[in-house]
Amino acid sequence: MNQSDIARYCIEQLKEAGAYKSQCAVTFSEKKELNVETGEMSLFRTTFDTNVGMSVIVDQKSGSVALNKTDKESINEAVRKVMDMAQSSQPDDANDISPSQPKQSFSKGDEKPDMEKMYLRLDEFMGYVKKTHPTINMEAAIVDFSHSTSVFQNSNGVEFITKEGMYGFSNMFTAKEGKDTSSFNGMGISALNLNTPLIESGSAKRLLRQSTEQVRTKPVSEKFTGEIVVTPDCLGDFIGFITGDISDGKIISKTSIYKEKLNKQITDPRFTLHARPVSDEITDGYFITDDGYVAENNTIIDNGVLKTHLLSLYGANKTGGKRAVNGGGALVVDAGEKPKDEIIRNIKKGILLERFSGGRPSADGEFSGVAKNSYYIENGKIKYPISETMISGNIQEMFSNIGEISSDRIDFGYSIFPWISFKGITVS
Amino acid sequence: MNIPHDISQYNHHFRDYTELRVQENRVTRISLTNGDVTGNVSSAQSGVSARVFKDGNWGFSSAPEFNDDSVGRVVKSSTENVQFMNLKNTSRCGLILPDTLGEYEMDFATKKPRENQKYWVDFAREVDGYIEKKFPELLSRNIMVAGTDMEKSLSTSDGSKSYSMTPRSFLVVTVAIEKDGNPVNLYEFFGGLGQMEDNLLSPSDFSPKLDDLVSRLKQKADGVFPKAGLQNVIMDADLAGILAHEAIGHTTEADLVLGGSVAGDLMGQEVVSPLITLVDYANTFDDKTCPVPVYVDDEGTPSKDTVIIKDGVLKNFMHNKESAQHFETNPDGNARAYAFSDEPLIRMRNTAFVPGTSSLEDMISSIDDGYYLTKSSNGQADSTSEFMFGIAMGYKIKNGEIGRAIKETTISGIAFDVLKTVDMISEEMSWSAGGMCGKKQWIPVGMGGPAIKCKVNIGGR
Repeated sequence: MNQSDIARYCIEQLKEAGAYKSQCAVTFSEKKELNVETGEMSLFRTTFDTNVGMSVIVDQKSGSVALNKTDKESINEAVRKVMDMAQSSQPDDANDISPSQPKQSFSKGDEKPDMEKMYLRLDEFMGYVKKTHPTINMEAAIVDFSHSTSVFQNSNGVEFITKEGMYGFSNMFTAKEGKDTSSFNGMGISALNLNTPLIESGSAKRLLRQSTEQVRTKPVSEKFTGEIVVTPDCLGDFIGFITGDISDGKIISKTSIYKEKLNKQITDPRFTLHARPVSDEITDGYFITDDGYVAENNTIIDNGVLKTHLLSLYGANKTGGKRAVNGGGALVVDAGEKPKDEIIRNIKKGILLERFSGGRPSADGEFSGVAKNSYYIENGKIKYPISETMISGNIQEMFSNIGEISSDRIDFGYSIFPWISFKGITVS
Repeated sequence: MNIPHDISQYNHHFRDYTELRVQENRVTRISLTNGDVTGNVSSAQSGVSARVFKDGNWGFSSAPEFNDDSVGRVVKSSTENVQFMNLKNTSRCGLILPDTLGEYEMDFATKKPRENQKYWVDFAREVDGYIEKKFPELLSRNIMVAGTDMEKSLSTSDGSKSYSMTPRSFLVVTVAIEKDGNPVNLYEFFGGLGQMEDNLLSPSDFSPKLDDLVSRLKQKADGVFPKAGLQNVIMDADLAGILAHEAIGHTTEADLVLGGSVAGDLMGQEVVSPLITLVDYANTFDDKTCPVPVYVDDEGTPSKDTVIIKDGVLKNFMHNKESAQHFETNPDGNARAYAFSDEPLIRMRNTAFVPGTSSLEDMISSIDDGYYLTKSSNGQADSTSEFMFGIAMGYKIKNGEIGRAIKETTISGIAFDVLKTVDMISEEMSWSAGGMCGKKQWIPVGMGGPAIKCKVNIGGR
């Protein structure tokens, strides 16, 4: 059976077992992965996998199973199991599947990796690091290529076919001089091809240079309230609180601080946040949502105004809210007007926050954590790399106290973020 | 998938150094939010993998099917991968791995009849119903009943053979209350090693613990801000365990040492208070099975305890075969993989400070002005041993007595420096069995210890 046949077989078997609402996704995937471990390229991995996911609704009761087998015996057993699970559950009128939509196919990227180029690019990257930054210890660097084909069907006649090939590059490193060691650092990107040298991707060059500067650090000399410039590499940590707080779990449990804030100002009016899973600018997006809709782009926060919660079909039915047109992620923050260097030049006293090792913000948005791989700024100048320095604030207040948003942004393939300065942050 | 207890019959496919592993990870999860079933999920991921070592390089491959053909294919694919590497890179040629020979079978599956899904949905609903009825003032209730079984069989060209079935199961309860218009929440884990039938005996067993959880939530909602800055604190076992794992343990994993961690230059030196002994236990502590028992690791090495710090002196790093060869020592069985499609990495198992001789009461009495920190929300550390933990629950200590609860905060410091300030360690040992550690792969870990008294930096405004 091909993937469509397998998905169809699952839906039919579920219907025969009494599930008139069901959905099934069948994915075949292959991954090639070259690994640098402790400075040497020494491992090449090839993994094949299969995933069959089935969800059913029986008398408004739901259950889901996943397995990585496609033989009929395994599928039939999974059908029996998921029916038992659903029948064991509790009815909930919010359970549903997506309605009939035209059959569509989507594709992106190559079907096969260019192995020679994967090796060449990683070797070239390691050569650059060794030559340009001899104090860097590359603990891990990975170039991979994943290809998957996926068929999604549901009992309302929906069928989406997706083929995707994507390269990934990630790394983790420290710098060491004698007995002095920097904090670890690293980044990751997604790409449709390896035409660009890896050292030019994401923030690789900047982070490597900074780590070599960070083998000797010191704490800030005094506690103060100042301005922090959050880099694209750690902006997602703070935006993640907002997107998490407007998603199903928090909205359904009514513990979101943004539950009553739709169409209200929640951030500085210069802040605009999009989810763009199907735009050309986001390489590593997605075509369909987990609950069976074709994904669309949307604007989550428009000039500071919250335009949508990120509710799934279930979340929307449960809360009476509106289903989001995508599943979140693929985030893009609009650029501002000033270059990041000019933003830093205008800061009297503050921190350039390159990485944030923070506690999960409390439910009301209070957070504190350690500024990692970061710098002290005074009178517009980056003075020295810091350690043992904490920053504290509140997410709501922070995004309402934006100083500037940079015109330059970093494209990670899965998100595009600028540098943003925030005022009124406690540094200690 | 049926996991055979012995897969050495497939060794005829081996040509070079090879590790062959057949594995299935099974997960069940039931989630309730305010009484509604919001998650009712089961998954099983299984397959076979082979890792081949030749001339200094590694090849790995995995596939979801398991039969003689698929074993042949993954061994062949791994061999082709290592050949690709050997064509490109000959600099590691000559590297020889130490031989290890382990043979063990262990099965922690329940001996009781397995309950069906309805039983566990009803179990979760009964827990939820108890909280809803007794504490109607709560803003929200989240209940999760979850179990993970890791069942694997290993055979290596060294001759090692092992089979293990290592389950973990939990009841996780998160409750929230509104205070001054803002939500305040608190969670608790119950369970550990074993399947749900062994860990979750009756919903009513948890009633006193749920009463305590809500009581602590209300204390927290009325909590005060802690004073920011360097403070005297007692870290209870939950936090001491994370400190042992995150802040010290990771810096002593040999791959991170080779990657430049600060511990690399400290071997043989007194690095913390002489009161501190830190051990990564393989499977047993004080004649009791640890939360994540490992008897033979995924390279086929028999597991034994690794004494990382002895009386304040750094004694050992944790190794896989390759790093043990590099450091000219023996591996203790720390090479572990999470899924069938994962290669073994150097991982901790059950990492804990060894208990001391003080009573917790005496430790509290010894502090005039400080904090008793009891529960973490998360934790991170890095190569310098600088760490940050979120504090989900804690109390003021004033004149030797426990005072008001504190609001959520963060603690941080350089672990090797913080542990130099330890002057009391409690005699009680408590394991935290719910830990998952992320390092390319996620993997279950055990963490624990006694309470420790030290000075640490508390964050906040």
